[in-house]
Amino acid sequence: MTLSARGLVCDYGPTRALDRVDLDASGGSILAVFGPNGAGKTTLLRALSGERRPDAGEVTLNGAAVSGSDPAWRARVGLVSHRTGLYRKLTVGENLAFFGALHGINRDRQMAVQALDEVGAADLADIPVEKLSRGQRQRAALARSLLHDPDVLFLDEPFTGLDPGGASTLEAMLQVRREAATVVVLVTHDLERGLKLADRALVLRRGRRVLDTECSGREAEDLLPFFTAGGNRVE
Amino acid sequence: MMSLRWARLIAWKDLQVEFRSGGRLLAMIAFVVLACFLFALALDRSLVPARNVAASLAWLTILFAATTGAGRTFDTEEEDGAFRHLLLTPVSRHAIFLGKSAANLVLVWIVTILAFVALTSFLGVRDAGSIVRHGAVLLPGTIGLAAVGTFFGLMSRHSSLGDTLLPVLTFPLLVPVIFFGATASGRVLTERPWAEISGSVRLLWAFAIGFVAVGSVLFRYLAEE
Repeated sequence: MTLSARGLVCDYGPTRALDRVDLDASGGSILAVFGPNGAGKTTLLRALSGERRPDAGEVTLNGAAVSGSDPAWRARVGLVSHRTGLYRKLTVGENLAFFGALHGINRDRQMAVQALDEVGAADLADIPVEKLSRGQRQRAALARSLLHDPDVLFLDEPFTGLDPGGASTLEAMLQVRREAATVVVLVTHDLERGLKLADRALVLRRGRRVLDTECSGREAEDLLPFFTAGGNRVE
Repeated sequence: MMSLRWARLIAWKDLQVEFRSGGRLLAMIAFVVLACFLFALALDRSLVPARNVAASLAWLTILFAATTGAGRTFDTEEEDGAFRHLLLTPVSRHAIFLGKSAANLVLVWIVTILAFVALTSFLGVRDAGSIVRHGAVLLPGTIGLAAVGTFFGLMSRHSSLGDTLLPVLTFPLLVPVIFFGATASGRVLTERPWAEISGSVRLLWAFAIGFVAVGSVLFRYLAEE
């Protein structure tokens, strides 16, 4: 399975947030997207997931165009973002049951507990989200995003607020998704962690792809010149 | 059928969240009680018979309370970015609109009942007419209010003007609902025959169905951009 983008352009009024970006992300591997603030990382993720319709270019999965307006595509997508996307007044179990039901998954408490158990948070099922710590919320959000076993997983700064235990759980989950041949696209500021986890790295600067390379053998210092003026390379 | 199931899930979730937090509903209830009290104080009943104006005052109170509530429809969706995740599920956009409108409708019904009870009590209107006939008038009227409020509630969230934009957008559209609703409710209060009321009720249903249909179709364009 391969998620591809060709010539993606996204404009916000007169500002070009993405400028003819190409990429390929294969199932069973992790693509990390890096870049300075305002580089267009989150916009790229939104365009890939279908949350935002690109002004030009297209996104394909195995060569077939995909779009956010297609429910079948949305059913195959999972998202973990730095904002948890959970309802604070509901318990974690109720949140998972709600989102599970929208995905057509049997909405019982046992299902929620099982999903939470996979991220080491089975004990959170009956606790309202507003009573959880930031790290616990992020674990619950991770469980919610994996409920429907997505084929394509987008992660937008997922390590924000996670304690070391939570970060380890997330890393372990990413390994599981890699083994399950899921397409994983990870947006992060954390160069070291991103390079350690990912198979391929893409650096954006001012909406343009300035580096697309294998992660193997790369150090964070190798990528830093691409955050400022200078390098521009696709390997 | 799937859309109705999704709409039911979303409405139930919204109501669960609302009744646990209570902020929006409490604000609407407080507004209704205070507005009715002030109307009762401001009205010189020796000059204007209360029964003749109670319906109009009730509809205005319901309109303002519903608008207050509509402005907060998407608060819980925005607070931790849940709306982004909701939009990434396979749920159709019109199901989201219908679900959120249904939840709004329940809240509007609560304040509608309260407004009628409060106004008839404060204004001393005895024998307020048939409850069934009041229900027949209020049902289509409140469906229209809830649908318009939900649609423009999201639009105002996207605007830098926020909630201040909401009345400007909704009030012109709701003029026919208020006009025919107040006319019909006034006639129920004064116990006029149903033949004098049914025409207004039919028009209220036409507006309600129109608002729900147009909102369902257009909501996706608001939600996705």
